[in-house]
Amino acid sequence: MSKLIAQAPVLASRLVAEARPRFQVFMKYAKVELTPPSVSDIPEIRSGIGRLINGAKTGRWREVTVREAWLNTLVTVEVLCWFYVGECIGKRHIVGYDV
Amino acid sequence: MSSLPAPVRVSPLIKFGRWSLLSVGILYGAFHQNRLSKKEAAIREVELKQKAIRDEKLAAEKKAAAEKEIAELEKLAK
Repeated sequence: MSKLIAQAPVLASRLVAEARPRFQVFMKYAKVELTPPSVSDIPEIRSGIGRLINGAKTGRWREVTVREAWLNTLVTVEVLCWFYVGECIGKRHIVGYDV
Repeated sequence: MSSLPAPVRVSPLIKFGRWSLLSVGILYGAFHQNRLSKKEAAIREVELKQKAIRDEKLAAEKKAAAEKEIAELEKLAK
């Protein structure tokens, strides 16, 4: 046990050295995919919402392939699930409220 | 490592939806937790008061039962 504690700083530095390139790979993807939308994206967002509403109005959703519809469903469900993740963070408890 | 695909450019609408739902969820969670914990505190207080009254009643009933038992045992022993 004392050997383990003596080796702890060595292990920690090795862990950091191992994790750094992986963390850099993660950051490379995160900078493109995970950043919150910026102010310059607002026109794109509005046009996207407009396209969605137009598509719903003109009935174009009936002519979309099943594969496309399935992918859209998955993306929608994923976006909706972020609400529940936020709720767990807000109530500071994973399952249920801690009263 | 060089075989990893290029990062995907996620549509801003999806990013906006994700981040806005996340923040709305955090706010809703905090707000609902606050509301529920206040209600629970009120209920706990009421129950605490009831507990005092209930404990008294239980103690009185136990005493009455114990005295009855003693009386019956005395009758038997006579």
